[in-house]
Amino acid sequence: MTKEELLSKLKTIIEPYVQNEDGLANLSEETNFIEDLEINSANLVDVILDVEDEFNIEIDNDGMDKMLTVKASIEVIQDKLAAK
Amino acid sequence: MIGNDIVDLALATTQSNWRRKGWLQKIFTISEQDRIWDALDPDLAVWELWSMKEATYKAYQRQFLKAPTYNPWDFKCSETSVIVKGMQYKTKTTITSEYIHSVAFIHPKVINAKVFTNESLTYKKHLLDYISKTKGLNSEKITIKKNDFRIPLVYINNLQTDIKVSFSSHGLFSSYAVDL
Repeated sequence: MTKEELLSKLKTIIEPYVQNEDGLANLSEETNFIEDLEINSANLVDVILDVEDEFNIEIDNDGMDKMLTVKASIEVIQDKLAAK
Repeated sequence: MIGNDIVDLALATTQSNWRRKGWLQKIFTISEQDRIWDALDPDLAVWELWSMKEATYKAYQRQFLKAPTYNPWDFKCSETSVIVKGMQYKTKTTITSEYIHSVAFIHPKVINAKVFTNESLTYKKHLLDYISKTKGLNSEKITIKKNDFRIPLVYINNLQTDIKVSFSSHGLFSSYAVDL
């Protein structure tokens, strides 16, 4: 899976939880889920569960710890996919 | 050291389906999950424990100037305290039919915490007034800015102070906690 495909899938996953649509329109690797997209911190769990379902991977506590930005999330997903 | 967190219960109910498979396990320890299922009102127990963890996260992040992380599982709740990486923070939680507000603290001086029921910036004005009264200063000399880790810092005459403040907003509610 290319990085672009991965980013596109991630964007679809986070969309329902985004409270700042401008942030979504300007999505980049630097985008922070809480600061830029105003995703409620309790909904980050839903993002993580949706990522697990979509990519058929399991995100452990170490992975979850980092998943606050698009960049970190892509890295975590790529790591887990490579380890499959 | 201080942190606080507010949960708008009506909004939390529509924003999160905590009964979703895997949800509780990502956030809560086994004993916390037991506490939730044993509670008379499991919904309330979920948000009570969540707000205790969030308030403690803020106090801990401020105390050690930590970059933001997402590790609710590391914050282990007991009745009125939370332990994270060997540090124990006391917590005080207020529950009403509309919101849950938790304050977490360690070695406090004098804590002042308030909840506001509108979305305007009233709560910041109240906090500035409180600090100015306590310190005997004109409130115009006081400013609050967030640092790169999004931790709010209090400045007096543009000089950073060690006054500890914490803000939280969710739905219809806003809150602050200050220790000075």
